Amino acid sequence: MWDGAADIASAVAAGRATALSIAEAAILRIREHDPLLNSFTAVTEQRALARAQAIDDARAAGRPLGPLAGVPFAVKNLFDVEGLPTLAGSKINRDLPPAARDAALIERLESAGAVLVGALNMGEYAYDFTGENVHDGAVHNPHDIERMSGGSSSGSGAAVAGGLVPLALGSDTNGSIRVPSSLCGIFGLKPTYGRLSRARSFPFVASLDHLGPFARNTRDLALAYDAMQGGDADDPACAGRDAEPVLPLLERGAEGLRVAVAGGYFKCRSAEPLAAVDRVAAALHANRDVDIPYADTARSAAFIVTASEGASLHLDRLRTRANDFDPAVRDRLIAGAMLPASLVVKAQKFRRRYRNAVLKLFEDVDAILAPATPCTAPLIGQETFVFGGNEIPVRANLGLYTQPISFIGLPVVAVPVPLEPLPIGVQIIAAPWREDVALRLACALEQKGVVAAKRPAL
Amino acid sequence: MKPRAKHKATPKRTAARVKRRVRPAVKRPVARHVEDAIDALMTASARALGLTIAPLWHKSVRFNLQLVLHHAARVEAFSLHDDAEPAPVFHA
Repeated sequence: MWDGAADIASAVAAGRATALSIAEAAILRIREHDPLLNSFTAVTEQRALARAQAIDDARAAGRPLGPLAGVPFAVKNLFDVEGLPTLAGSKINRDLPPAARDAALIERLESAGAVLVGALNMGEYAYDFTGENVHDGAVHNPHDIERMSGGSSSGSGAAVAGGLVPLALGSDTNGSIRVPSSLCGIFGLKPTYGRLSRARSFPFVASLDHLGPFARNTRDLALAYDAMQGGDADDPACAGRDAEPVLPLLERGAEGLRVAVAGGYFKCRSAEPLAAVDRVAAALHANRDVDIPYADTARSAAFIVTASEGASLHLDRLRTRANDFDPAVRDRLIAGAMLPASLVVKAQKFRRRYRNAVLKLFEDVDAILAPATPCTAPLIGQETFVFGGNEIPVRANLGLYTQPISFIGLPVVAVPVPLEPLPIGVQIIAAPWREDVALRLACALEQKGVVAAKRPAL
Repeated sequence: MKPRAKHKATPKRTAARVKRRVRPAVKRPVARHVEDAIDALMTASARALGLTIAPLWHKSVRFNLQLVLHHAARVEAFSLHDDAEPAPVFHA
């Protein structure tokens, strides 16, 4: 089924379909196609059917339905799901007791009528860009199952791109929403740092962690985003801003918005990202380049803050259960633990300086375009790829365009450019709290047919 | 703000160009004294932190430590005033 969230909610509200039939169909699709994709780690069938029946009962009783009535969705398995241990892609967390309460964003989506159908595969402890996981197996890209989905929200990308669910949630510390969106050819929103509550999700790097939605069109992305906005005292980093709905603004078009292309560090020297950015820039009449200053240092600073905070989080597990980690993750975390604190503090000081410099750019532009990934989906197990004439490691470099942006918490919509044979994403980067600008531009591009989530031949 | 540089690259042409110029991943030799220093840091840190590094992991941990120190050196080289404030929790 390729129907979007808005279509499903509209059909349920109008009585053209029942929420129960939608949930049953989603579960059937997961059973049928997920053995190929490996995107789910748990299917919450009984819960989903009960929830769907409750929505149908509410409609029958004449009670109002939410804007996501009957929409199936799934979440990266670092979100707490009541009754399940929160795996965060690990073996170690399987020993945790089942979560006592759902993550805040699950509660908000379900309050809007959505129906949780399961938890999704991911890179261990979110320290991953590939979608490979030694405990649960690699997630396969729906456009070519020999290829990576991207990570660490690998299951979220594949489940949405493969048509198993119209909506999924993931997390993005250094690019983990934008990288799988790019490689799987779907839309992803990484909101401003502090916009959406992270309460009751398993952390990775507290000062960089964001949560956000994946969808196959901008309308669905906006619907989900609007349903999840609002402050939350349970997340100390949540800014507590009132909801600023974007759905009413979505179709205002690109007119009047000043769009530039990121130059310098972001001027990609590989064919596919270059072609994708050019297509998007041409459609938005973005005929100016803007240099994001110190982007290479920003990436390095993000790298060391991640290594250090991640190591700090897992230090005790590294002491007591080192053999139970994915070796690739363990060895990076151990290295991070050894990083002198003085260097991490310097990175945090640089972060403020960099933020101030980048914010100045938004005095002259409303949005900046940049590649989302330096390549289309590599083969599963592939260790290097060609970039700018050099062969470089996949694992460390899939996020080289995303890290300098999330480092200062800017909102980004990753839009899919349907190149052949594989799609690739472009980042639409906006000023803090201006998700509306990025989503408006994404919607305008979608209406022009420049970006689209292409249906894979599963 | 600069005008966008015009380029005539098409995906096909750029791909062909890239193919001709590919340079294989070269592991740059690390000076022996640097390797020794990293090994010493690993040994001392592991002991201080109560971490065990099995012989089989040693090479991979050292590679990752070198990588993170490479990034740290770039940050360290960035000049900041004494009154620069850290941003441990960032509010955009």
